[in-house]
Amino acid sequence: MAEVHVIGQIIGATGFSESSLFCKWGIHTGAAWKLLSGVREGQTQVDTPQVGDMAYWSHPIDLHFATKGLQGWPRLHLQVWSQDSFGRCQLEGYGFCHVPSSPGTHQLDCSTWRPLGSWREQLARAFVGGGPQLLHADTIYSGADRYRLHTAAGGTVRLELSLLLRHFDRYGVEC
Amino acid sequence: MAATNPSVFLLMVNGQVESAKGLEEGISQITSKSQDVRRALVWNFPIDVTFKSTNPYGWPQIVLSVYGPDMFGNDVVRGYGAVHVPFSPGRHKRTIPMFVPESTSKLQKFTSWFMGRRPEYTDPKVLAQGEGREVTRVRSQGFVTLLFNVVTKDMRKLGYDTGPADTHGIPGPSLPQGISG
Repeated sequence: MAEVHVIGQIIGATGFSESSLFCKWGIHTGAAWKLLSGVREGQTQVDTPQVGDMAYWSHPIDLHFATKGLQGWPRLHLQVWSQDSFGRCQLEGYGFCHVPSSPGTHQLDCSTWRPLGSWREQLARAFVGGGPQLLHADTIYSGADRYRLHTAAGGTVRLELSLLLRHFDRYGVEC
Repeated sequence: MAATNPSVFLLMVNGQVESAKGLEEGISQITSKSQDVRRALVWNFPIDVTFKSTNPYGWPQIVLSVYGPDMFGNDVVRGYGAVHVPFSPGRHKRTIPMFVPESTSKLQKFTSWFMGRRPEYTDPKVLAQGEGREVTRVRSQGFVTLLFNVVTKDMRKLGYDTGPADTHGIPGPSLPQGISG
């Protein structure tokens, strides 16, 4: 069986309208992949940047997969939320990116989007907060049923991920 | 003589903690902010360590805690940061952001500023793992630059492919920015 190590960090996020941000992340893989060690999902701390507009989390990711096939290559999905001084959380964006497939260290910039509701909901969000959220989180990384969504762009999440591959050349896979 | 199949690989790291920029105050151990326009903090602290493992899971991370005196002279924490040791052999430069835990209520912030007891992590190793962070609030301020030289042994023989070395363009043990030549 070939093995893949995904080791890196969710560095931070920039370009969002609010400044106290945290991120919920998860990794989704196909049926041929098995997670040997590491946690598949997590949540970062809430960060308020003092200088500049980039919120920094430095959240470590360390995953060890074993795989029998190339289908279902791991996908990292993210939800960026903001927290206000009262402790209420509001959704700022959903995003996903595929884990890179070539070995080495990669800098990734993941763009995000958030669902827009009707004009009433947008007005309420501007004054009171809240706003529509996805009922099923797998819409973030799958293409089905997206035509129903009307969304607006959010900011960008920056990640640095390193890939270590093992025994891929034994199976004739070039990457 | 036949080469035996290795069962472990070695990772040797050396380098230095180079400089910091943007932290609130400038005194740490024997370092203060420089008097020129750069206002840089230079530690030039050496790192030299070798690891042995059978599995890249749990790859080493460097966790930094920066302390400095506050207005009343107490040593308070000025920043925490963590980064993985680079994976591919060669020279690498990493600039990492630093952050400080923050109290949630304004009264607690004032009390901790006054008493000189700011919130800090009891064990900085919590920064090297992702679990348990979702309840903490932090403030990010400042950056620290580190330089690494990485050498690995037998990773390729064990079947691991770490990709190309990404060291092009990194100058030698550098002068702090602002000094030319």
